[in-house]
Parts: sequence; C-alpha cells; structure tokens
Amino acid sequence: MAKYSENRQKPKSTQDRLKGYAIKAGIKKGLAGTFIYGWLLASLTIIMVPILWMVSAAFTDTENLNAVPIIPIPTRWSLANYQEIFTYTGSTTQMLPDYPRAFLVSLGVASLSTVLTVIFSSLVGFAFSRYRFKGKKPVLLSMFGLQLFPSFMGMIALFLLFNQFGWLNSWPHLSLIYVAGSIPFNTFIIRGFMKNIPLSLDESARIDGASNLQVLRKIIVPLAAPILGFVAVDSFMKPWLDYILPSILMPENETVAMWLFRVNDNESQPYNPMLFMAGGLFIAVPIMMVQIYMQKYVVYGLTGGAEKG
Amino acid sequence: MDTIKQFGLKILDAFKRAGIFIVKGIPLGIYGFFKSIVFAIINFFKNLKMAKEEHPESFKRGLASFFLMGLGQIKNKQWYKGVPILSVFALFLIIELVTGGYWWALTGEIAAYPAEGELHFFRDYGGLFTKGLWGLFTLGAVTTYSTYRGVDIRPRGAVFGWDRGDNSRVLLGEGVIVLVLVALFIILWIVSVRDAYKTHLKVAAGKTIEDAKSFYKRVSEEYFAYLIIIPALILITFFILIPFIFSFMVAFTNYTDSISLGRELIQWHGFDTFIKVFNPEEDWFKFFNQTLMWTLFYAFMSSVTVYVLGLIQALIIESKYVVGKKIWRTIFILPWAIPGMIILLLFSNVFGADQGLLNNILASTGSTEGFREFLEMIGLVGQESDGNILWFTSSANAPLARTIIILVNLWMGFPYFMLMITGVLTTIPKMLVEAADIDGATSWQKFKYLTLPWVIRGTAPVIITTFTFNFNNFGMIYFLTGGGPGYPRSEIPTSLIGIAPGQTDILISWIYKLSFESTVNQFNLAAAYSILIFLLIGVVAIVQLSRLKTFWEEE
Repeated sequence: MAKYSENRQKPKSTQDRLKGYAIKAGIKKGLAGTFIYGWLLASLTIIMVPILWMVSAAFTDTENLNAVPIIPIPTRWSLANYQEIFTYTGSTTQMLPDYPRAFLVSLGVASLSTVLTVIFSSLVGFAFSRYRFKGKKPVLLSMFGLQLFPSFMGMIALFLLFNQFGWLNSWPHLSLIYVAGSIPFNTFIIRGFMKNIPLSLDESARIDGASNLQVLRKIIVPLAAPILGFVAVDSFMKPWLDYILPSILMPENETVAMWLFRVNDNESQPYNPMLFMAGGLFIAVPIMMVQIYMQKYVVYGLTGGAEKG
Repeated sequence: MDTIKQFGLKILDAFKRAGIFIVKGIPLGIYGFFKSIVFAIINFFKNLKMAKEEHPESFKRGLASFFLMGLGQIKNKQWYKGVPILSVFALFLIIELVTGGYWWALTGEIAAYPAEGELHFFRDYGGLFTKGLWGLFTLGAVTTYSTYRGVDIRPRGAVFGWDRGDNSRVLLGEGVIVLVLVALFIILWIVSVRDAYKTHLKVAAGKTIEDAKSFYKRVSEEYFAYLIIIPALILITFFILIPFIFSFMVAFTNYTDSISLGRELIQWHGFDTFIKVFNPEEDWFKFFNQTLMWTLFYAFMSSVTVYVLGLIQALIIESKYVVGKKIWRTIFILPWAIPGMIILLLFSNVFGADQGLLNNILASTGSTEGFREFLEMIGLVGQESDGNILWFTSSANAPLARTIIILVNLWMGFPYFMLMITGVLTTIPKMLVEAADIDGATSWQKFKYLTLPWVIRGTAPVIITTFTFNFNNFGMIYFLTGGGPGYPRSEIPTSLIGIAPGQTDILISWIYKLSFESTVNQFNLAAAYSILIFLLIGVVAIVQLSRLKTFWEEE
C-alpha cells in the first residue's frame, strides 16, 4: 500500500513507470529464477549422486568401494559383478546359482501372495459390499483390529507354528502369511470401490438367471478391475523385498532380500558390497519403471482409495 | 509465518490430544470394558430368570440345547438344524476321545503306575481339547530326566505317551490353538441355545417357523457371503490371530532364552514383565525410556521434515519459472520409486567407515579433517580417533547417526509428499487465485493465505499416518545403521550386555533384537513391548478411523 501512495504523490509519465516496473520485474524474475534453478540443481545432485554411484559400482570390476568412480566412466565399465552373481553357487546341492535362485524364490512368494490376495480380498470385499448377514460389523471391526498388529510382531509364534508343522523353508506357506496380513486392508479398499458399482447391474444379471458367483465374475470383477490392479501391484511389492519374515521362517531357503542383506553384511561370508550393488540395481530398475508408470495411481490408491472405504 | 506457526501448533495439538486420549482413554477403555462385561453378566441372569418365569416351555427347549447341543432344535422339529449342530458336537467329542488315552486310564494303568504325588490326569490321558487347556493353564508339570509315576521321563516318550518331558513352549502354542477352537465351539453352543429358545417362542406365539426347504434356500443364497469369507477368516485366524494371542500371552510369562525348554518349565508370571518395564529402578527402564524417546523424536521429525520438503519441492516445480516440469518431477520421484530396502542398504555403504562414498569424497578432496572438526563444533561428533568419520560405529557419534537417519529418511520420503501435494495444488479453484490477483495480493500473500491453508487442510491427516508408519519402520534402522552405535560399555550394566539396544535402535528394531539376536533372547519383554506399541498405534489408528464416517455407516 505504501508503494501505491508514494506513486500517487510523485506522478511519473506512464512510460517511465512501465520501464521501472519492467526492470524491477526483470531483476526479481532473474533472482527468483536463479534461486529456483540453484535449488533444483542442488536437489538433483543430492538425489543423483548416490544413485549414479550405485550404477557405477555395479559395473566396476573391483572389490573395494573406494575404487569406484562416483560418476560412471564408460571406458571402465565391466560386467564382472554380474558374471559373478549369475554364476556363483554357494552350495553344491543347488541346481541354480545363489542369486537367480533367490530371485525365483522371491518371485514365487510374491506371485503366489498376489494371486491369493486378489482372490480372497475380492471375495471378502464382494461379501461385505453386497450381502447382509449376521455378525457383519463385528467381523469387519475385528479384521481391522487385527490388522493393527504388524504380522511380524507375532514372529516368535509364527516361527513355532512353522516349526511344529514342518513348514520352515517352504515358500508357499510363507506367502500365506502375507496373504492373511493383507486381506483386511485390501478388503476395505475393494469394498469401498464395489459399493459404488450400482446394485441395479447385479439385479438385472440375477433376473437373467446369474448365480452369486457369476455376478461376481462377470459383472463386478470387470468393473472393479482398476482397484484390483492396484491391490495386485501393492500385494506384489510388499513380500517382494520383505526381509524379516523370510529371514526367520526360511533360514535355508534364501529370498532375494536375504541375499542382498547377506552380501552387504560385513559379518557374513562372502561379504562383497559390489555384488549387492549389481544385484540390487538389477531388481531396482524394473520396479522403478513400474512405480514411475503407476505414480498417480499409487498415490490415489493410498489416499483417495482408502478414504473412500 | 503465522500460517506455518499455526500449522505447527495444529500438529502439536493433535499429538497432545492423542497423548491425552492415550493416557485417559486406555484406563477408561479398560474400565468400560470390564463394566460392560459385569453388566452383561447381570443382564444375562436377569433375562434368564425372566425367560424361566414367563416362558417355561421355551426355556426348557433352550435348556435342552444347553445340555446337548442341537437337542432343543430337534425337539422343535427342526431336525435340519439340530442334526448338523449335534454332529459338530459329536465330532468334537470323537476327536477328544480318539486323541485321549481314556481307554488306558480305565483299564488299570493308573493302578499299575500310581503317582507319587499329584496325578496329572489330563496331562496323561486328556484328549486334544482337555490336554490343550491343561497345558495352557499349567504350562507343563513334568520335566525331562525326572521320575514320574515310577518311570524315567525322557525327551521322547517311549512307552506310554505320558513318559515324555513337557515342553512349555509347545504346550502354550497348542493351548492357544485349542483355545480358539474351544471358543468357536462355545459360540456355536450359545447360538444353539438361543436359537432353540427363540424358535419355540415363535411356535408358542402361533407364528410359522421356516421349514427345511426355506432354510436350505436361505443358507445357500444369503449365507453365500459366509461361504466366501470363511476361507479368508481361517487364514487370518491361523496366521494373524493365533500368533497375536500367543505373543500376548508370552508377555505374562517368564519365557527367556535362559530357560532350557524340556528340562525347565516356563511359568505364568502375571504382570511381572510390565512391572519390570515401568519400574524406574530396573536397568531396563532406562533403556526403554531412552529408546521410546528417540523413537518418538525420530517418528515426529521424520514425518514433519518429509512433509515440509515435499511441499517446497512441489511449489518449486509448479512455479512459473521452471521449464520441463515433467522431467524434474520424474527425477525427483526416483528415491520413492526405488525399493526402500535397496536404498537403505545403499546408504549404509554411502556412510561406510572404511569403504564409503562420503568418506571417500572427503578424503579425495582433503576435507576430512575440516568436516570432522565442523561436526564436532556443532556437537554431532565426539569420536576420539582421527581419520575417517565413523558415521555409525563410534558410540560418541550417536547424534551424528541419528541426524543421518532423519536425513536419509528425508531423501527417501519427500517424493511421496511432493506427488501428493502437487495433486492437491491442482485442486485449488482458479477463481480464488484470480480473486486474489484482482485484489493485488503479492505472491507471498497468496501463498500464505491461499495455498498453504489449502494444502494443509487436504493433507494434514496423512502426517499422522506417516507418524505411525515411521514409528514402526523397522527397515529404516535395521538396514541403515543396524541400531548402532551402541551405548558406551560403561553405561551398560553387566546384566544387559548383549541385550541393550543400540543408540539408534527404535522400539521395533529393539524388539526384533530382543527376540532373535540377543545373547539371551528376552521373549517376554519383547512381547510386552509389542503390546505397548500395539496399544499406542492402535489408539491412533482408531481415532483416525472414527473420523472416516463412511466406515461406520454399515447397514
């Protein structure tokens, strides 16, 4: 306000005034632009240096991290680390080298739990969004309550359970834990989504003689495909690099997370952070692409989708 | 500045309210829980008396089902309900008889092998259910390498089945499974009694009761819902509920690794563990207190910092000076797109003491000395040795390790908030912005009075979610620092060597160490801490959930 009154007291010619504004605006813009680009470049450096260092380490043939160039140098690139992880076999009884084997075990755990989670939570979500039955609310509430208890807090009990039933080192049984743990949350999301599918669609299908399961399969599931896709991605990512549960329940059946931790742990044999860099990068790249592709969707699912329920 | 201040106050207020809720709410909740149980029991007997006096015939039907599940239904001429219920009862009975040793007990084994002291009948001859419950209540009575009923007890029983030492841990586990089965049985029992009573009431009032055909129809159609949720419920019961009950119970025992199972028994110890946790004179208390404080501080700081940086990045990328917004955004998303575990292990190498990116950079630019002195000056570093900075390994460098944890969390965490806040920014109505422009608002004013309040309103609840997430973010600590640096040797009492947490351990990572990586694993303490976390996080989650109106609107 002060500026305006000043201007009024000392009237200038229009041209002068415009010129003054333009210069001021130009300086301001220049300063702001410099600051903003400075900030962006600083952020860029802080974000990219560790990542580039990892790439560089993955493709450098050395045993010492200090010998790794910070920025990858194309002339020094070598595939030695990858050669090692794809050929090194720790035990002679194994068919496959350690890393590919661990990769496949993790893939098995994650895929099985994805399939089962999608099936179970869409069934339960369907039941909760379409049916009235006794005990609906207590079941819903207790499912939510149980979900607050992180599954690995019951670790000791799970270990005993697995030991008792002879399930240690068996990956299909491990994936059942992930399924059980993720049913409640995914049920809420799916139920919220299915509630928004008009009931009239079910009714018209029923008039045409569709059974309960047919309604679910032919009407609801196709319409709920987007949210099922989100649930599928989410329930794949969770077990994919989980460390704690497999480290306790599958001590002799390594998953890829256990492998990464082992080669990076300087108390274990063989310790070689280079292998971690190479193996980690190999896993990170595809996941990174999926995440970037799905960014909007994932953020939506975690905020909007959950609140809908 | 006001808005930011208000925002800060708002968050503090939310935490204060959550704190008050926890302090007041938990005792009130427990009180209310017991009160409602007492009232329910009183009401139950009142209703029972009323039923007996007013509808004696119906009461008898209920009573019939009370003594033999399903009998009341059969008397009501609802054999299609009575027979299934009765067969469930028969199944339980058969399982009990087949798995028990009642036959041997009756044919004179007790007389042939008399007990010197107390005879544990259900231990020796009980079936699945009675033996399970016996084990749960006593946690075993006969240890390996002792003599019982004149027979040497061995790790694996050879002759009788009861000449095998008790393993308390197994008994507890089996007991919990049996407890769940028995609970289901009792629920079915209660349902059958109520159903027999109510059905007869209907008959007495002259109403028609549903016949077999309509019953089947209802079961197959309406109860389709049960059919499809039961497999999921079984999975949840087995893999979540039973482990939960088990952990809960372990907190009330004296179970640690110092007990060699088989030779020694675990015992119920009531609230001893919790007293140990909260007794200021115990060594445990100090470490629990310090760990809890650090956990709260870490969870709070890491939630707030990622939010603030996320906001800044979103505003900067959205500002009119920036070209190539999409490219910038994609680059800034990278830390979020790479799996957290890999990032954390990567950073454990960045901050390696001997081979590490940062020490390497410092050494090659010759600034190790200067940087270490700078860190010493601001109080983060206290290491005595010269040379490389020991980021996570020197116990005098704990403030440095803690700062790095929060910084790494910031590195990984801000992109998510940046994405979310960018989304919220696009929802600001154009009208409001134009109105502000017309009124001649400066860009700072627009930010302060329009953008910031709008963003905060849209995203504040997420901060609380992030707080609870960070509170239990095991990987952050375990993969990055492994809990290190440890406390100085002089501060750790002898009883806690190899058990005490590291200086950057949060509760959850300490629980993991207590359960699996200590010299003497403290299962009961780990379980007690888990319960405390569960209460804390559960309360926050319930408060949040109660705000989601749609959740409670269940028809």
